[in-house]
Order: sequence, then structure tokens, then C-alpha cells
Amino acid sequence: MKTMGLKINLLLILLTGIYSSAFSQAQKKADNDTENWRYEIECVGTGNEGTYLIKVWSYSKKPLVAIEQAKKNAIHGIIFQGFQGGKNGCNGQKPLTSNPSLEQEKADFFKDFFADGGKYMKFVNVTNDGSIAPEDRLKVGKEYKIGVVVSISKDALRKDLEAAGVIKGLSSGF
Amino acid sequence: MKKITTCFIILIAFSISVIGQAKKPTLMVLPSDVWCNQNGYMSEFDNQGTKLKFPNYKMAFQSNSDLLLVIGKINSLMAERGFPLKNAESVLKSLEGESAEDAMLQSKSGSDVSETAIDKLKKTAKADIIIQLTWTINTVGPKKSITFNLQGLDSYTDKQIAGEQGTGAPSFSAELPVLLEEAVLSHLDNFNTQLQAHFDDMFANGREITVRVKNFGDDWGGDLEKEYDGKELGTIIEDWMRDNTVAHRFSTTDATENMMLFEQVRIPLYDANGNAMDARGFLKPLQKYLAAPPYSIPCKLMTKGLGQSSLVLGGK
Repeated sequence: MKTMGLKINLLLILLTGIYSSAFSQAQKKADNDTENWRYEIECVGTGNEGTYLIKVWSYSKKPLVAIEQAKKNAIHGIIFQGFQGGKNGCNGQKPLTSNPSLEQEKADFFKDFFADGGKYMKFVNVTNDGSIAPEDRLKVGKEYKIGVVVSISKDALRKDLEAAGVIKGLSSGF
Repeated sequence: MKKITTCFIILIAFSISVIGQAKKPTLMVLPSDVWCNQNGYMSEFDNQGTKLKFPNYKMAFQSNSDLLLVIGKINSLMAERGFPLKNAESVLKSLEGESAEDAMLQSKSGSDVSETAIDKLKKTAKADIIIQLTWTINTVGPKKSITFNLQGLDSYTDKQIAGEQGTGAPSFSAELPVLLEEAVLSHLDNFNTQLQAHFDDMFANGREITVRVKNFGDDWGGDLEKEYDGKELGTIIEDWMRDNTVAHRFSTTDATENMMLFEQVRIPLYDANGNAMDARGFLKPLQKYLAAPPYSIPCKLMTKGLGQSSLVLGGK
């Protein structure tokens, strides 16, 4: 009986290990996807003052990873890519930087900024408590494509990047 | 000794910070002529039989609360970006107050404040960049939407340096002020991105100005075709422009014996001493150059803001 219990414990530990390794691999792949711009952003509506309200489509074999990665993708997109206008007259926005090589020039800064649990978390909020509408959860091949609506505190994000000297303020130089 | 060193370091840091600042352009939001016309804020006058219309900004500011809301919103968002704007309504009030004060002002001996016709003409609300604002309300059945148009216009080059237009989401229930506020929020960031690109270009390639050369011919008996060592004065001035512009960039748009117009003149942001420079600062050395032999032409230098200057040959 004692041996049986030990075996079950070992099996549980093994399963947990396999799961967390698969999860961390999925997370790593999701990070690579972010760096390779493998996400889509669409405008959902005009947010409150100082915010953007957007839907971010992220890819992963694990839906949870895709949902979590949506926050990182959203901030990444706002800084480097901007987004197109959406339905119902929702206006597209240009990225916070117009320097196409900023990501490489400030690689050290962005490595820390986009680390898991990094500072980017301060500027993004998942709306609807993170619940995903059925039509925003799509199976594409072996992966899930998941659309998450997030609110970005773009004014605070811009101020933070300006204070860090990563992007220029409108009045810098004057 | 330590105190002296500290003072010296502070002094150097201060002078670097002062020298390192270019002259900041002023911005002001004004409703466009189209908006004023559509909303009935125009005045008319008869110019020898031709009826001319011009926007009556004072009437617009006094009557339209939506206009104040939009301008107030833009002003506060720009101030948050570290770029406070001139408030057009306040500028108009200041101008009125100043005119009244000048009319009453007298010295102890009883003489009035000197003011030429050109001084009077220059007393208008002005800024280096005008943000021209237009919106129209679209109504389809019970649905309302706003078409919003912001244009950043350089007062001196007449170029549009930033612009953002679009139609917002139609709504059954939202009130006009809400739709307008939404329009400002969704368009101002893109507008500012273009404004930033304009400033970046200015820092990289110099400030773009317009220069005019005119002639008080009777005062000195010469014109721009007068020759010095076989070279016409106009050509001498063009050579000076070539030597003093950033990357020799300027266009001679018009040239006659009495006037020259230079456009797209790129001037450095700082002079040789590291002081911030504008159109007036740029033309002062030309004024001195022409006043010295062999030319010995006295010149009057007039300026309009940061980006437009005129040099009148022959007198002051």
C-alpha cells in the first residue's frame, strides 16, 4: 500500500513536471511570436481619456498562454506597430515610436521591460475579467487563435518611455 | 575651492541647458473659415463693390459652447503632452485690452504711443502653427456622427505640416459634446505623431522659413540689378543665402529688380555662438553685410514670428 502511494506521488510529480515544461515551452514560443510580430491588433472603440481599447489576437497551443501573451502583444503593438481602424468608425493609431530600429537600439531596455511579470504589466488591463467570447476562440491547425480585449494606459506608457529616454517627447529639444 | 568648483559646474550645466534649447514654436487652435461660414460666424464688408467675408472669431467664441469644449479639450491634452497651446479667445481679449491701453497711454509731455499703419496691421491673433479645426454633423435618420478635421498649418511657409481627418461611429443616443470629445480623443494622437515628425525634420534639416527682400528705391537710388564688381546685387544676396543656409537649401521663388522671394529656406537652429536662432536672427548678418562697404546699403529688417522676415533695402 505504501509503495502504491509512493508510485502515485512520483507519477503526479512527473506529470506536473511535464506540464510545466510544456507550458514554459509554449510561453517561450509565444514570446518568439511577439518578437516576430505574430499577433494582430484591431480597434474595438475609443477608450476613456488616456487609454486605447483594442482586441489582440494571439496564437498558442495553450489557450491560457495565448490569453496571457495578449497583454505583452498589446503593449508591443502599441509601441512598435500601431493598429488599423476597426468597425463602426473606430480610428486607427500610429505607433508610439516612428524609429523603425528602436527595438534593436534599446534591446537591453525592452528585454527587462517585456520580461515575464515585467513593467509592461503596469500599462495593460484585461477587460471582462479575461473572459473570452466564443467567437474569439478559434482553432487554427494545431494552435488556438484567441482574441482578448484589453485596455492600454497609453498616456502613462508614453510618459514612462519618455522618462526612460526611449522615445522623445513632443517638446524635447525646445 | 570645492565651492568654486561646484559653482563652476552648475554654471556650465546651466549654460549648456540654455544653449541646447531651440526656439519653441507657438500653437493655437482656430475654427476654419468653412466651419465659421457654416455656423454663421462671418462678418462682411464692402470692398469697392465686392462683398468680402471673413471669420468673426470673437462672435464664435462668445456664442458656441461646443467650440469652447473642443478647443479646451485639445488645449488640455496638448498641455499634458508638455506642449501648452495659446488660447485663441484669451489672445483676442489681450489684443483688445492692449489696443485700449495704447489708445489711452500718453507720456508726461503729452505724446502718444507711436504706431505706424503696419504696426496696426500686425496686431492680430497669431501663432507659429495654427491648428485649424472643422467638424460637421452627419445625420442619417435618428443616427448622428461627426466628421472631424484637424490641420496643422505653418504660418510662414503655408504648408500643412500635420493633419488628421475621419468620421466617428454613428450613434443613436450619444449627445453632440460626447461625440466631439470622442473625436478629439481618437484623432489627437495621430495628429501629434505628425507634429513630432515635423519637429524631428526641423532638428535634422533646420527650420524652414520664408525670406523677402524689398526695395525703398528712392531712398538710395539703386535696385537689385545694381552691379558690384560685375555682379548684380540680387545674385550677391543669393550667394549669401547659399553660404548661410543648412546644406545650401533654399528656393528663389520670385526675383525682379525690386523684390526677391526666397521660400523653403532652411536655417540652422543655433547661431555660431550656440544661441537659438529664428528668421530675424538669420537675416541680421545679411543686414550688416549689406550695410558694410562696398555696398553700404542701409536696410530695414522686419519680422513675423519665428519663420518669416523681410529685408527692405535703402532705408530704415
